[in-house]
Amino acid sequence: MSADARVRRVAGTAAATRVPWDLVGLVVLAIAVAFMPDLLKAFFGRASVSYLSIATNALSLSILALSWDILARTGQLSLAHAAFYGAGAYTTALLVKHASLPLWVGIPLGGVAAVIFALLLGAVTLRLRGIYFAIATLSAAEVLKAVVHHLPTPIAGGNAGLNVPALFRPEFIAGQMERWEVAFLRNEAYFYVYGVVLLATVLASILVQRSRFKHAFTAIRTNEEVAGVMGIRPARAKLLAFVLSAVFVGMLGAVEAHRVGSVLPEQSFSVATTVLALVTPIFGGLYTTLGPIVGALGLSSVQETLRRTFSDGYLIGYGVVLVLSILFMPRGVVGLMNGLMRRRAKPAAGAPERTGEEDRP
Amino acid sequence: MDTTLLVQALVSGVLAAGLYALVSVGLALAIGVIGIVNFAHGEFFMVGAFLAYQLFVTFGIDPVWSLFIVAPALFALGGVIYTSTIRFVLKAPELNQMLLTFGIGIILQNLALLIWGGDPRTIAGISYRGIGYQIGGVSIGLVPLASFVISLVLVLGLYWMLSSTPLGRAMRAVAQNRTGAALVGLEVNRVYLVAFALSALLAGIGGVMIAVIQSPTPVVGFAFTLKAFAIVVVAGLGNVRGILFAALFVAVAESLVATMVPNGDTLRNAVFFAIIFAVLIRRSWRTV
Amino acid sequence: MSVVIRATALAKHFGGLAAVDDVSFEVEAGEIFAIIGPNGAGKTTILNLVSGLLTPTAGRVELLGRDVTAASPAQRCHAGLGRAFQVVQPFPEMTLRENVLVGALFGTPGLSRADAEHRADEALEVTGLTALSAVDAEDLTLMQEKRLEIARALATKPSVLLLDEVMAGLRPAEARDAIGLVKAVRDQGVTIVFIEHVMPVVRDLADRVLVMDHGKVLTEGRYAEVTQDARVIEAYLGKEDAA
Repeated sequence: MSADARVRRVAGTAAATRVPWDLVGLVVLAIAVAFMPDLLKAFFGRASVSYLSIATNALSLSILALSWDILARTGQLSLAHAAFYGAGAYTTALLVKHASLPLWVGIPLGGVAAVIFALLLGAVTLRLRGIYFAIATLSAAEVLKAVVHHLPTPIAGGNAGLNVPALFRPEFIAGQMERWEVAFLRNEAYFYVYGVVLLATVLASILVQRSRFKHAFTAIRTNEEVAGVMGIRPARAKLLAFVLSAVFVGMLGAVEAHRVGSVLPEQSFSVATTVLALVTPIFGGLYTTLGPIVGALGLSSVQETLRRTFSDGYLIGYGVVLVLSILFMPRGVVGLMNGLMRRRAKPAAGAPERTGEEDRP
Repeated sequence: MDTTLLVQALVSGVLAAGLYALVSVGLALAIGVIGIVNFAHGEFFMVGAFLAYQLFVTFGIDPVWSLFIVAPALFALGGVIYTSTIRFVLKAPELNQMLLTFGIGIILQNLALLIWGGDPRTIAGISYRGIGYQIGGVSIGLVPLASFVISLVLVLGLYWMLSSTPLGRAMRAVAQNRTGAALVGLEVNRVYLVAFALSALLAGIGGVMIAVIQSPTPVVGFAFTLKAFAIVVVAGLGNVRGILFAALFVAVAESLVATMVPNGDTLRNAVFFAIIFAVLIRRSWRTV
Repeated sequence: MSVVIRATALAKHFGGLAAVDDVSFEVEAGEIFAIIGPNGAGKTTILNLVSGLLTPTAGRVELLGRDVTAASPAQRCHAGLGRAFQVVQPFPEMTLRENVLVGALFGTPGLSRADAEHRADEALEVTGLTALSAVDAEDLTLMQEKRLEIARALATKPSVLLLDEVMAGLRPAEARDAIGLVKAVRDQGVTIVFIEHVMPVVRDLADRVLVMDHGKVLTEGRYAEVTQDARVIEAYLGKEDAA
């Protein structure tokens, strides 16, 4: 059998038996989200209230990380994620204060506001790369923070921020439930909202990875000039990535404003948000759907401990994770796993030997 | 518009420019020689400031003398960080280099927050802190003036070192051509190490001065990373000469906004960010 | 015969330096057109101006009768321009077939996924890379990389293909293969513009030759004609002396 025919046959069988792992994962995630509150309640009873809150934080971190990663796939390392988050948070807060709309309307509109900011920012930063892009996005985020901070107090609350009413106010019904179950119901409702936003983010990420945009993003990240000559329109692809990245984190910011109960310039536009958004995918594995989620699950369990141990400097843990990840596993947890599996699988698959290395000049 | 106020703002801006130039020149050194954009640069500045503070509180050492302790300490810190981390990513993608230094910055800043907390720290009770001169209604503090002079001397000293000493020539050779420099027998890695440590040292000295001029908190470092970056960008990457002028421009702009705009003091940082943003965007849209 | 590329009074200045100055030429459909000249003559700059990676300081570029002077690289690609680079630049994170698929997917707007895959496989077939489809692009030999560079450009279905020194670094036997490959591509109806240093390759391939020196056109004509030109001989011998 010729080498030619053998490779084709291998490729053919691989295609025929390929499991759509991404879609399987999406379904598993959806099921996990659907049953998590009841499971927690069944196993932990009263303690499930705080466990549910921790689980919600994990979902929040996943959304943050995955949405950041979508933009990073085009090679743009954004330090403006806090701005998208803050734009969403302040949009819903301002709507509550100045317009009499149903509360939930603020969530999609928070996404829209983030998208508008992303399109403006994306359009002017199109030609910036690497460190320049990073610094420009960070600057834009800080300017937006300052603008929000200095809006007249009657409009945006200035330094003191704005109060945001809760989305859910379950009522205590005497005789039918215990006191703590009120808190459980509230946390459960938020958990589902976060779950839906995360599932939407994951779906968007999967759609990107399955479409030609995956190739466009990778090509632009590797070499924008070559990508252009291949017929890819880098401006369009980058703006799409910007929009997808901003919409979900904008919605997250809006939901979180309701959950926390207030928006403040320093809190809603915190650099810490940006740091979390980038450390998590780097730890989990960049440029994949799975990596940022794995990273979020891993880090959010550490996060609680850190936050309790060090109130002021809890970000130190993320610094350490970031430095160690870059030095020892630049492809993240998922990359590490893939590497191990590949090494194991390679002798069996009979991959073609590398030949002609000596031909290089 | 009050002329005296305007002149006062200009003078304060010019005096601040010296310190800005000192910190920026260190960042430019790391970028120019090693090719690493160091996101942790301002943290060296912060460490310098808090070392000076601690030396004063614990041993009562005057900041003027702690300059001679902080400088070698920061040189050593820079050397240790280069040897333990930076040198492993010299050939890694730019993204990884950036994230690594970002991570180092996060660690240093939060370590400081753990040790000193988030409140501003003042070196209180030094006699020369309050001394100032009045010239036609414009006041010039002794400490800002001295920091301006010291900074200027150090920046000019660095220029001299780069242009006239064997070490400086080695640095410039390495900056221009890594492999070429290796071929003529320079130990590239050692030159990098010295350049990085020197850059930390310069930032650390700046930190000692800020500890006397202001009452810094541990987050002052990140702000100075960005200020230094703004200045380096305005000057043009790799253009060490332009830094003095860029520092002057940025510091005066900042001082004018703080003085002239109502509530301007809190807008200071926003001015920096607006300048960086505008300069970066403008540069990028010049036709290829 | 129809004109595929028409460059009129092209100029490109970098700061005060004129890399290309008042260059005009026409490439006709179906021919193999060579651009030669000593180092620094402005050959690659010409290709960058034609493919849209650089904006000319003055002059205009027409592609198949359309003025594309202000068009982006992607628009020119969609209009039928393919480009292979001198320094081979595969996307290292993709397999060889994925690399080629990028050209197929984006070279023609609106092409279906199935058609694009088919087109990518065709390009792999023409360049003799089918057997290596699943190999990671970072694991290729230089000759394989050069073939990939051409395959990727071919997958965009170009009417005209720009090749920048595809023979550089190849051994004589490999260069002969590459010459065969270029001829095969031309026989499929693709017009070819190439930059080359190796004169025997130019002799074997080129229908017409444009000779450049110091950013200007020295002369233009058939290989036999231009190599007799005193100015060309001087430009090359001058370079020989320096080297």
